[in-house]
Amino acid sequence: MKQAKISFLVTILLLGSVVVSCIPGQGQPATGWSGTAFYDGVIYAGTLDGRVVAINATSREVQWHYSFAEPSSGGLSCGQSSVSTAIYTTPIVDGDLVYVGTYSGHVYALTIDRGTERWVYPRTGSIGAIVGSPVIANETIYISSSDGMVYALDMSYGDEKWKSQRLADKLWTSPTVVGDTLYVSTFDGHIYALSAETGDLLDWSFELEAGFASSPVIHEGTIYVGSFDNNLYAIELGASEPVWEFGGSKWFWAAPVVHEGVVYAGCLDGKLYVLDAKTGDKMGEYDAGSPIVCSPVMMDDLLIVADESGDVHVFDLNAEPQDKATLLKAIAIGAAVRSSFCANEGLVYIRGEDNWIYVVDIDKGQVSQLLFLTSEG
Amino acid sequence: MLSPIALWYLIILEPILNVLVALSHILSGEFGLAIIALTLIVRFVSWPLNKRQLRSTKALQDLQPKMQELQKKYGKNKQKLQQEMMKLYKEAGVNPLGCLWPMLIQFPIWIALYQSIMRALAVTPENLLALHDHLYSWEVVRQAIPLSSQFLWLNLGQPDPYFILAIVVGGTMWVQQKMTQAPSADPRQQSTTRMMTLMMPLMFGMLTLMFPSGLALFWAVTNIIGIITQYFVTGGWGYLKFGSPFQSTSARDR
Repeated sequence: MKQAKISFLVTILLLGSVVVSCIPGQGQPATGWSGTAFYDGVIYAGTLDGRVVAINATSREVQWHYSFAEPSSGGLSCGQSSVSTAIYTTPIVDGDLVYVGTYSGHVYALTIDRGTERWVYPRTGSIGAIVGSPVIANETIYISSSDGMVYALDMSYGDEKWKSQRLADKLWTSPTVVGDTLYVSTFDGHIYALSAETGDLLDWSFELEAGFASSPVIHEGTIYVGSFDNNLYAIELGASEPVWEFGGSKWFWAAPVVHEGVVYAGCLDGKLYVLDAKTGDKMGEYDAGSPIVCSPVMMDDLLIVADESGDVHVFDLNAEPQDKATLLKAIAIGAAVRSSFCANEGLVYIRGEDNWIYVVDIDKGQVSQLLFLTSEG
Repeated sequence: MLSPIALWYLIILEPILNVLVALSHILSGEFGLAIIALTLIVRFVSWPLNKRQLRSTKALQDLQPKMQELQKKYGKNKQKLQQEMMKLYKEAGVNPLGCLWPMLIQFPIWIALYQSIMRALAVTPENLLALHDHLYSWEVVRQAIPLSSQFLWLNLGQPDPYFILAIVVGGTMWVQQKMTQAPSADPRQQSTTRMMTLMMPLMFGMLTLMFPSGLALFWAVTNIIGIITQYFVTGGWGYLKFGSPFQSTSARDR
């Protein structure tokens, strides 16, 4: 009788957990949105099942793949459980290594020829989840982490050169390095300047009431950064007030592109805004019709923008009138795009949210599927 | 034509979510305080329903001594017992399901509150990105995002590492249940009641260890408000203080 009661109690407890965790509408688990990187004829991308794959762009064959997957904890819950090995960062290649940060709080350096692990940081345990892509400068790899700190690692051996003090609750944006200074934007509305050499906080910082949504882009001494108050800000380095601000109707989530005195900023309201970099005056806008989540990419004189409905918009920046974004063509790939993408010699490589890698031939306006990323091998 | 899900978002979820975010900004960016404040507001708004539920509970409690007598008298004849019980309810003007309806009507609001907390916390990057679709263009909302998840010793997006909330949630739920659940003369029924009183606090205590502490904070505040309102409406600790209505009566007589 007592045993039956205990069994009943345990069953109800388990059932209750499942029922409560399965109430719809509580959000999505962390699955990752790693983008693509092109280097020496090979495309590198993170997958939804926690792998990095290297694909030969010509033969379309997988050269290698490396799995960060850890044994699944399983369980009955269908709630907030996250893929511990989700990858949000876009792989970055330098020399003979490809670097990837994972949501489980590790930075890996893999060899580009075979995908074998050269080093992992930290060697034991983990740091906070890594969402912002790493950047490379001064022979150092810089990573921001969800523990609110920025880490500087030696590129060859993964040794920690420094880690900053805790700058915020969490850092999900990528840092930007200019010369010997590293800039990082935070969700609590700060832009901090750190010594790239030591990680020490420098005298200047910028504060805004709203949080910063995008990574900072620095061009000719001015930071361009999107905010959660639906504005894009231009902030002169060393200044305490923004030079200008421009309002969209939703967040500027993606980092803008600055080219020849013009800012091209994609917004979650589905518009690409074309702004004068000096004054912030609107020179033009293009309605993509769907949120622009990832940053535009430049390829020669073309600006390529992908939106969440899966349309790729190509703008000719040399076309008349030059002060407006002139749409050259729009190509539908048929899958939502959130991940950053890369372009090389007329071809654009995009990982769609359906986990296919698409190749878009800009000249021909054709789309082809390169590889489905969820199947092993 | 909007789908039921779109209607749910438009009419219930989004207003609650935006008020929660706005409250967080008004309360110095403290999301924990916003959860407490919104729980209080929802309780206040749903007070008429709550009052009716508590009064029904009180009326049922008051009938317990008579119910016990009926159980003793007709314990072996289930059909007769049912008939006599229904008669007693009718005479006293009590609907045994009267305390259930207000609870059922409030249920969607609690679900929406739960969803709003989970969404506002935006634990994963996907959740944060998805949030922009549900936010109003109010200045106060735009200034508040993303919310800080730090509150007291808690990271509201993570379970409480010190188990304090689990104990508070389980403990307060046990107290609240104990205040309302009348002990039965039937040993089998009493055993079931005891198990139920133990099971729910245990379950929620366990869920607290698995879910973001922001949600556990909501459960804890809900329970505490429940205990306080129950204390004042029903006029005391109910069955928490006295194990059985007979003890209760004899204690009062003394």
